[in-house]
Amino acid sequence: MPDSASPDPLTQSATGISARIVAAAGAHFLQAVSRADCDEVALFGDGLLAAVDALRGGGYNLLLDIGVTDHQPLTPRFEVSYHFLSMPLQRISPYATAARFRLRVFPSGDGLALPSLTGRWPNADWAEREAFDMFGVTFDGHPKLTRILMPDDWEGYPLRKDYPLRGFDRLFNPGGRLGAVPPVVES
Amino acid sequence: MAAGASAFEGGPDIIVSKGDERDSMVLSMGPQHPSTHGVLRVMLRLDGETVIDAQPEIGYLHTGIEKQAENLFWQQAITVVDRADYLAPLSNSLCYVLAAERLLAIDNIPPRAQVLRVMFAELTRIASHLVWLGTHGMDLGAQSIFMYAFDMRERILRIMEFVTGARMHQSWFRIGGLAIDVPLGFLAEIDDFIAVFCERLTDMRTILEHNIIFKDRMVGVGRIGAADAVSWGLTGPALRASGVNYDVRKAFPYSGYETYDFDVPVYEGGDCYARFIVRLDEMHQAWRIIKQARERFPSGPVVIDDRKIVPPPKTEIQHSMEALIHHFKIVSAGFNVPEGHIYQAVEGPRGEMGMYLTSAGGNKPWRVRWRPPSFYNLQALKKLVIGNLIADVVAIIGSLDPVFGEVDR
Repeated sequence: MPDSASPDPLTQSATGISARIVAAAGAHFLQAVSRADCDEVALFGDGLLAAVDALRGGGYNLLLDIGVTDHQPLTPRFEVSYHFLSMPLQRISPYATAARFRLRVFPSGDGLALPSLTGRWPNADWAEREAFDMFGVTFDGHPKLTRILMPDDWEGYPLRKDYPLRGFDRLFNPGGRLGAVPPVVES
Repeated sequence: MAAGASAFEGGPDIIVSKGDERDSMVLSMGPQHPSTHGVLRVMLRLDGETVIDAQPEIGYLHTGIEKQAENLFWQQAITVVDRADYLAPLSNSLCYVLAAERLLAIDNIPPRAQVLRVMFAELTRIASHLVWLGTHGMDLGAQSIFMYAFDMRERILRIMEFVTGARMHQSWFRIGGLAIDVPLGFLAEIDDFIAVFCERLTDMRTILEHNIIFKDRMVGVGRIGAADAVSWGLTGPALRASGVNYDVRKAFPYSGYETYDFDVPVYEGGDCYARFIVRLDEMHQAWRIIKQARERFPSGPVVIDDRKIVPPPKTEIQHSMEALIHHFKIVSAGFNVPEGHIYQAVEGPRGEMGMYLTSAGGNKPWRVRWRPPSFYNLQALKKLVIGNLIADVVAIIGSLDPVFGEVDR
């Protein structure tokens, strides 16, 4: 697995906005890297809000996406990746100033809880609901954290690596959860 | 949720009266309503005909594309990735192959493949915008525009079929280049299209642009300002109609877009009409890019010369044992991609179509995370419709141009 699932507490020449996020995250900081696609900072969930506020102060005003990656069997198992975009609001904006930034957040402790960003960006609402729906990551402070893509009575979190491709006990797996037909094991 | 809400346990909040409305009613629009462009359900709370609250419900078209892609080889996943935004399949696969190529550190895609990628990405954009134009016009009572738009779209789909063998879901872009080169006679087809399209676009524009009935339904409806558009994460035409100049092709160029001469249409209105005009202008710009791609159209191969990534041509397999082994290895075991993660975005017809790929070093992607533009654009619906009439909800949904294959994946 990438360097990333268990990053070294090593700062690789964090400059500019990265340095401010590192300072804001404090003890929860893990790693700062400048990648080919954008700069990124890895941190624990407890430092998320401080890091996000530092990002916002640095002009990153558009929350692009919230995605989750299941790194099983590595620990920490879940990585929540936040992508941000800084965008000047002038009509004729110089394109070169648009920049992306990535936060890779690993929920602190044993739980799977992170602070919600819905108070800062309204579009975090659905993105966090999808993260909850697909991986079971919870977001403290979210106004209504329910399933969004799967039915409300669905069991399990489909995008986790230990969730079989064809589900546990649905139509295509007649043996059921405890039945004779084992779930299809995908590498 | 208010007290006494047990009758609606687990249901949408909106149907539970908060006790502070006047004579309001709840209307469930969809999921089978023809003007919701797929399977969208919007719960509306109405005061007379005015919308006072709205809650879009999605997920009816969830097919687990991200999960499926994780269980296929790198090159096989292109076929499912294509099916997310089913009106712009080639934009999807372009995003995926670019991301995979960056993970593989492939930076020598042949010029002919680059030009064809750009040309077909823009053809796809036009085809997608034409579906939007036809259905959006029909939603608002303009019946004939649908026929004009689908006539031109049919031409594009015929070119697609001629080149790739499939009208939709072409899966023509591959990691390392293209699946096959264009057939003989392609240039005549594309010249024909270039000659016809600009004039037909002007025709279509003339039908609606200054039509008073059409403008009455569009101007000032569903207005969103630049700051709100950014905080709601809008991208693409919806963002540019609010006066923010952001286009992935200009800000983070890929596939050689920086070498083409095109403009990014930006309008200040922030309403349905501005989004309408932005898309019309975009079709014209896409036509300009296609024309430039046609003019340069270099010769040469369409795939890189790396037998570990690209299977050898069929003719070689019949003579060379080594080629046969390479073919067999790629088909049966795929190829490994170095560990890493990358975010790659392209400017799809609906906005920033991004992909966050994680590789664990194996022959399958570890994680394929979409950044679906329709998902975020549609989320802003609940802000856009409040205060508008119920008839305007149809216009606003149409102006956001959501595609539910992509919203729900």
